[in-house]
Amino acid sequence: MSIDPIRLEVLKNRFSSLCEEMGAVLMRTAFSPNIKERRDFSCALFDGNAEMVAQAAHIPVHLGSMPMAVAAALERGDLASGDAVLLNDPYRGGTHLPDMTLVTPVFFGGKKPAFYLANRAHHADVGGMSAGSLPLSTEIFQEGLRIPPVKIVKGGVLDEDLVDLLLANVRTGDERRGDLYAQLAANRVGERRLAEMVAHFGLEETRRYASALLDYGEKMMEGVIASIPDGCYSFQDVLDDDGAGSGPVALRCTVRIAGRRAEVDFSGCDGQVAGCVNAVRAITLSAVSYVFRLLAPEGFPSNAGCMRPITVKTLAGTVVDCVFPAAVAGGNVETSQRIVDILLGALAKAIPAAVPSASCGSMSNLTIGGRDGKGGLFTYYETIAGGAGAGPAGRGASGIQTHMTNTLNTPVEALEHAYPLRVRRYRLREGSGGRGRHRGGEGVEKEIELLTDARITLLSDRRVSRPYGLQGGGAGAVGRNRLLRGEEETELAGKCTFQGRAGDRLCIETPGGGGWGEDLAPEGDV
Amino acid sequence: MTKRIDQEQEVFPSHSAIPLIGVDTGGTFTDLVMVRGDELRTWKLPSTPADPSRAVLEGVRRLVGDAPAFVFHGSTVATNALLEGKGACVALVVTEGFRDLLLIGRQNRPDLYALHPRRTEPLVPGERVVEARERVLPNGEVAVPLLAEQIAKIVTAVSKTGASSVAVCLLHSYAMPEHESALTEALEREGLEVSASSRILVEFREFERASTTVVNASVSPIMGQYLERLQSALPGSTLRIMQSNGGAIRPRTAAKEAVRTILSGPAGGMVGAFAAARRAGFDRIITFDMGGTSTDVGLCAGEIPFTAEAVVAGWPVKVPMIDIHTVGAGGGSIARLDEGGALRVGPQSAGADPGPACYGRGEEATVTDANLCLGRLLPESFLGGRMPLFPERAQAAVERLARGARLPVEKMAEGIVEVAEETMAAALRVVSIARGHDPRDFTLLPFGGAGGLHACSLAETLGMRRILIPVGPGLLSAFGLVVADTVRDYSLSVLIPGETGEKALKELFYPLEERARQEMKDEGALEDDIELVFSLDLRYRGQSFEVNVPFSKDFRNAFHRRHEALYGYCDEGREIEIVTVRLRSRVPGHSPAFGGEPRRGELTRLRDSQVRIDAELVHCPIYLRETLPLQAQFEGPALIVEESATHLVRPGWRAKMTRQGCVVLER
Repeated sequence: MSIDPIRLEVLKNRFSSLCEEMGAVLMRTAFSPNIKERRDFSCALFDGNAEMVAQAAHIPVHLGSMPMAVAAALERGDLASGDAVLLNDPYRGGTHLPDMTLVTPVFFGGKKPAFYLANRAHHADVGGMSAGSLPLSTEIFQEGLRIPPVKIVKGGVLDEDLVDLLLANVRTGDERRGDLYAQLAANRVGERRLAEMVAHFGLEETRRYASALLDYGEKMMEGVIASIPDGCYSFQDVLDDDGAGSGPVALRCTVRIAGRRAEVDFSGCDGQVAGCVNAVRAITLSAVSYVFRLLAPEGFPSNAGCMRPITVKTLAGTVVDCVFPAAVAGGNVETSQRIVDILLGALAKAIPAAVPSASCGSMSNLTIGGRDGKGGLFTYYETIAGGAGAGPAGRGASGIQTHMTNTLNTPVEALEHAYPLRVRRYRLREGSGGRGRHRGGEGVEKEIELLTDARITLLSDRRVSRPYGLQGGGAGAVGRNRLLRGEEETELAGKCTFQGRAGDRLCIETPGGGGWGEDLAPEGDV
Repeated sequence: MTKRIDQEQEVFPSHSAIPLIGVDTGGTFTDLVMVRGDELRTWKLPSTPADPSRAVLEGVRRLVGDAPAFVFHGSTVATNALLEGKGACVALVVTEGFRDLLLIGRQNRPDLYALHPRRTEPLVPGERVVEARERVLPNGEVAVPLLAEQIAKIVTAVSKTGASSVAVCLLHSYAMPEHESALTEALEREGLEVSASSRILVEFREFERASTTVVNASVSPIMGQYLERLQSALPGSTLRIMQSNGGAIRPRTAAKEAVRTILSGPAGGMVGAFAAARRAGFDRIITFDMGGTSTDVGLCAGEIPFTAEAVVAGWPVKVPMIDIHTVGAGGGSIARLDEGGALRVGPQSAGADPGPACYGRGEEATVTDANLCLGRLLPESFLGGRMPLFPERAQAAVERLARGARLPVEKMAEGIVEVAEETMAAALRVVSIARGHDPRDFTLLPFGGAGGLHACSLAETLGMRRILIPVGPGLLSAFGLVVADTVRDYSLSVLIPGETGEKALKELFYPLEERARQEMKDEGALEDDIELVFSLDLRYRGQSFEVNVPFSKDFRNAFHRRHEALYGYCDEGREIEIVTVRLRSRVPGHSPAFGGEPRRGELTRLRDSQVRIDAELVHCPIYLRETLPLQAQFEGPALIVEESATHLVRPGWRAKMTRQGCVVLER
């Protein structure tokens, strides 16, 4: 049977609004700031073969990695109607531990699920050696509670024992229960919408068009690749260090374009490290999928078909495809940004008139945890924006989330209400953008005062290596982390953890973006 | 009887022989409706964008000459000033350390997959931002006082920027407004117009509050000049300005708080639609206003819903407004085949210029062209026959697309309509299903020129069984202005525990109530006519989105129920937090009877025609709306044609006239 372009568009919109609606429920009912304020979550629909049919565009780092979660749930081999599977194990479908994924098989008669719904959300804490569960770890066991694919809901009944076990192992368990309920509610909404679609279009027709959408995504991506000149393009860059005393860590990639196909080869990357910046392969796939998606026109679909024309080569045991029991807390948030940097750097050699210079290249993760005045535990986590790289189209945006993240900041007024912290300064960092025909965007300067003793963990990069400029543009300024205690000022490492005292001021300056093109203005004229 | 109220000797429009006029300024047309006793007249004339008051005044004169009138006005002056970047030159005063508050915003980028992420240019550039050395804490305590010499310094710095209008937004000012008040006084003494965030939006979250305040500072002076011009040209008349919340205010208030008028256009339509529905005996409706480039939908479950989450021209505007969801599909939406072989319709639009191919200038196929190809639009009676259409151009445009997809031209035309309707159906789902309402419990109320062409099909998709076509579907916004209440909204962020007692809550409401009563009297209202509605924004402690419920003894329970309806679960054991207390003050507006005497006599058809429905060419009678007699009944398929709109009655639907002149379709 042929595919009708009209029905294809109708179902494409229907599938993606289903995912959007799941996201709205999750965001509005969640408790983790990461989910509700910063929208660090994703919702997606998969077909019976666990191929992703549609995804709401929430956070790029989840893009290419969700399919592995569904595949891991499927491997159990015992999914029945009314079940839901929870997981966060990076070595079985996850990315890093705070990202909890809930997979629900959807049956319409038959023994096999016709579809799967999945949502992934970044919980504020999943236990482990430091509050916020993004520690400077050296093995996965320190990072928090590891959850292989387990049935959290069986035959429609929530396994309260299992929930109790999970919540006993995390800080602020009551909030995690709220987040879990929000995730369950999101998949339930998805199930309802899917049932309505199947009632309307029929199961076979719905499946047929789900599969046609994958072909559609493939065709669209082939068009994008075909517009890049054939050839072989390489680039390399580094992470400052691994957070455990070694570094720099080198990342290399080679992009081979041949007609409508692309191969991205990461086999030249450094081996996995002792520190926490290792990325599982799922993250590398996400970064590749994001970069190719950047080159695509508006209205481009997000589904598994888009990745068909792209082959990704990684070597197991490297920093972009680490193996158990490597520590991975920072792979998701820092290494993913560097993977984007090297991919864009390689593509800039193929299409120099399109690709911008490097953006700040670090999410500048800050976690502060301790006891608030009322005796309760608190965990504050935030990523801090930086400068975007300049490009042929103009200067880079300032103080903006770039590439693999797009999470919102916590309003200062909300933050000061919720935590024993005071924000003393939050503004752009003048002069941090790289020079060039177009200047890189400015980084951000944020100064936070502790009103109580608390543990501080910083997971940031680009404190040594600068975000590169292209086509003659200068590099962006590196970031800086400082501690101000009374009159005393201490320079902090990019990745560090220490006990802070009430009255301490933490000053974080994030990197600027790289400049683009030669600066033709005379010296001193900005 | 005429009531004389305040020192301006304004007459509050409750009941009198003075004509009531609703004037709605739209992008293309200015619509007017006049009611005087039983007399009802309407007028439509081209808008005059360079000075919108020209069309307004011409229309008013046309209807009542120089006689005094109550003129209810829905204006786009503030909106256009914002969209076109023609607002006043604004300076912004913020707490020291936060000069880039507006620029950083929430630090996210609008488009996730932009190779060159861009953000809207701030309305206030860095050189016009002034920092104030002061600091207030979340509980309202002062950590750093605002000293007199600091105020003097700020006034000097602001004066140097050359700005004529100033926005003041200091951290935690909702908890302690005195610093903002002191600055406002000092700046006003220098002859500057000042918008203080603690007056405009007394709520927490500094970026959204600053954005709303800056938008107000930017558009208020422009609105003020416009209203002054208008009022002086209508010396004997009383002017009332529509707000985005569907209520009217007097010009003096509108000129100070113009941000409250930013989305008043669609608000008028919703008010008019709800009033029409209530008269016809329905109070649960989903409105569907289809225009040229976009479609506005809204849901009323017994009352008009509000939201405070709008974003206009890239800027959050957090004043309460009627909750309307807009999607980029309208009559002018362009159809194309994309690289992957899917048929896309919109968001690109042919707009008014060049317009759909059938208007004579455009080349690309639009939804209007598709409707024409299908025989659902009659070329000879479009806009009462005043606008010629070119069916052959529509045919050619759709044919080009059909060839690309190797489909028959009729199939392509139906496909364009189907894809556009899918976008609209998604919008209807967003306002109903996604917010916990079952569309099957509602009546669909289409308006705008093209709403009636798609109503049956959308109702079928959503399982709805009744459609109400109001009188004058093309003039509903102007109708809405005439019946609008006088409304003012007040809010205060409190962030207190849900266990807070009733007495303590009443004390929090008290200053709001006092201000509301005073300001309503200033609006010309009589004490006895003022209605006050108290509500609370609640959430489970730890959440970030609030749910608004009426203030009652039982508000906690009401919150759990609403949370469950909205999101599918509630947790009665969990602690509730009261984030914001809200007060709406309202004086009911007019309820004139529209529609006039229903016609008697036989049902006569204009002629018959061939219309394509569900892949078949069907024989379809055409009725003229104005000739439909009372109690007329007929079955679909049929077309109902009137001056401002065309309606398609699909097979399976039965049409009948109501006493009020509405057409009800049922299946």
